[in-house]
Amino acid sequence: MNGYGGTILRVNLTEGKFTREPTPAQVARDFIGGRGFGIYFLFKEVPKGADPLGPHNKLIISTGPLSGTLTPGGGKCDWTTKSPLTGGYADASLGGHFTAEMKYAGLDSIILEGSSPNPVYLFIDDDKVQLLDASSLWGKGAIDVEIALKHKYGEEYQVAAIGPGGENLVLYACINHDFGRQAGRGGVGAVMGSKKLKAIVIHGTKSVQVADPEGYRKAGMALYKACKDAEGLAEWTRYGTTVVTSWCDEVGALPTRNFSAGSFEQGSNIYGQTMRKEIVITDKGCFGCPSPCGKYSHIKRYNTQVEGPEYETIGMMGANLGIGDIQAIAEANRLVDDMGIDSISTGGCIAWAMECYEKGILTKADTDGLELKFGNAEAVFALIRKIAYREGEIGELLAQGTRRAAQQVGKGSENFAIQVKGMEQSAYATHNATAMLLAFMTCDVGAHHNRSWAITYDLQVGRDKVVPEKVARIIWLQNFRPMFDVLGACRLQWVELGIDRDLYVPLLEAITGIRRTWQDLEAVGNRIWNLTRMYWIRENAGFGRDWDLPSPRFYTEPPKTGVTAGQITKYEDVQALLNMYYEQRGWDDNGIPTTGTLETLNLSTLVA
Amino acid sequence: MSATIRPLGMLKSYIGDLKETTVEAGQSVRATILALGINPDLVAGVFVNGEQQTKDYVIQDGDTVKLLAVIGGG
Repeated sequence: MNGYGGTILRVNLTEGKFTREPTPAQVARDFIGGRGFGIYFLFKEVPKGADPLGPHNKLIISTGPLSGTLTPGGGKCDWTTKSPLTGGYADASLGGHFTAEMKYAGLDSIILEGSSPNPVYLFIDDDKVQLLDASSLWGKGAIDVEIALKHKYGEEYQVAAIGPGGENLVLYACINHDFGRQAGRGGVGAVMGSKKLKAIVIHGTKSVQVADPEGYRKAGMALYKACKDAEGLAEWTRYGTTVVTSWCDEVGALPTRNFSAGSFEQGSNIYGQTMRKEIVITDKGCFGCPSPCGKYSHIKRYNTQVEGPEYETIGMMGANLGIGDIQAIAEANRLVDDMGIDSISTGGCIAWAMECYEKGILTKADTDGLELKFGNAEAVFALIRKIAYREGEIGELLAQGTRRAAQQVGKGSENFAIQVKGMEQSAYATHNATAMLLAFMTCDVGAHHNRSWAITYDLQVGRDKVVPEKVARIIWLQNFRPMFDVLGACRLQWVELGIDRDLYVPLLEAITGIRRTWQDLEAVGNRIWNLTRMYWIRENAGFGRDWDLPSPRFYTEPPKTGVTAGQITKYEDVQALLNMYYEQRGWDDNGIPTTGTLETLNLSTLVA
Repeated sequence: MSATIRPLGMLKSYIGDLKETTVEAGQSVRATILALGINPDLVAGVFVNGEQQTKDYVIQDGDTVKLLAVIGGG
């Protein structure tokens, strides 16, 4: 098939066996690739009720037809699994250079099955596939493992690895690659750890067959030219995602002290311009990227280096922890990367623990003596290690994520566990931003921002407005934006540079030989969205409307400070948003897709 | 005592026909763009001579001030 590697590689870690099968044409037609392949294989193959950390769960890594091609940012693959953090669907997108090597090894998906009795790493070099002893790597940090394997095999070999967090099954452990890129959310690293798979080393030399080489060259170059000509390219490249830090602070969207406010009085210490002056050494991009958003930093105070921090980490491990110190945030970033735990969920968990501590719900007897006050960076550094190693009561408690930790601790702490469906909310405060709140409520992995992002839309339309147009906007974004994770390319060229998305249409056609308009692609996005919903329903008894509710903080506790002081979303508006959302989605009052909706999307047989 | 204001990319879709314009120096970016009819909340990035600044920055003679919106987000 044009645009595809053509092979699905299955790795049975229990038996140490490999099988190859051709990529099914019908699956490519209906789900295209990336997270589309992920949910297809997850729904079809992982048995209902499987333990996310047991051998029956699978970790599915998928490229897309744009991966490894002349597409700006065409270096994204998607890691799909049943989440140990949420018990539902999870996928995490990975940048860097892993994806292109996977495509050049001829692989559309790698499906990791079973569980190895001993620590191993997977070595793939074109058609050569081996499981090799990783006992000497087990226990090492993810960055150290990448360095060791790069030294062993060479710079052209790409490495994805877990750290101690994944080994110790921290429920939000991530997978690290390229010294600072992550498949970050939902605990994909814990699933990899449960399979005793420490790392994957990959290298490929095959070419990707395209349908129309000349059309491909023209369409690809047109996209690159659009990026290079885009106004704002220099500014985005200089600051990356940290461009928005000051603006989020200004509009009340910067999570502050466990989302108790949306503006931070020390904000200017952590803005992008401060970071650029204080710590950034150079820019760093992923495969084929014309607008590198990564920043490589030297942290003078600690004499350490890190890729980052980017906005999410600055928000969640900075303002949200009351830390107004860019060097301390960068050091926390370095630690979570090496430990292999997601910086967003880690920030959410530590912020919850800090609020518990300040309210007397947790004391030093519970925290291994740590003074968990907001702003205490040294305590944060210590706690990151405790979480990754599940060390002490506090490490064990927080390794479970905020939902379980709050259920265990009680005493009202459930009300300030800032999560949806068990996933910690990423770094946008939503006290009075109803479209963005709905985006978090209905995101198909939990409270994550990357499916739909609507802060600017809230400001345009009126942040407290609860109108069908906002709901329609969220649904459109949910169907559209994740298609980049299906196609195997980065969305930031559209997000940041405003590249005309129609430029992708002729490129995709030249690669695959199949013409798909964005209307066609959004229809696939809608099918995938509904299938991920059906996965939640299948795996969680009683799943329904209540699972879509946000943290009570956003409808009960208006911030006392900042630009959103006194502002809140009314509970009836939360319910009204859901009513409109379900109606527009073709779901029933409990948030379950109707039979008619599933039939329209050609999903009836798959979910039966 | 003048400076240049230049809306970039997607911000233009919010503010109609306003293109590059010359303004008096001496006012903050916030006050200046408000006077131009631009909602400051929709301006995510302010870049003065290539460096990001807050909207409290007081525009100096000869500055080039670029304004950037965020539509897509994270």
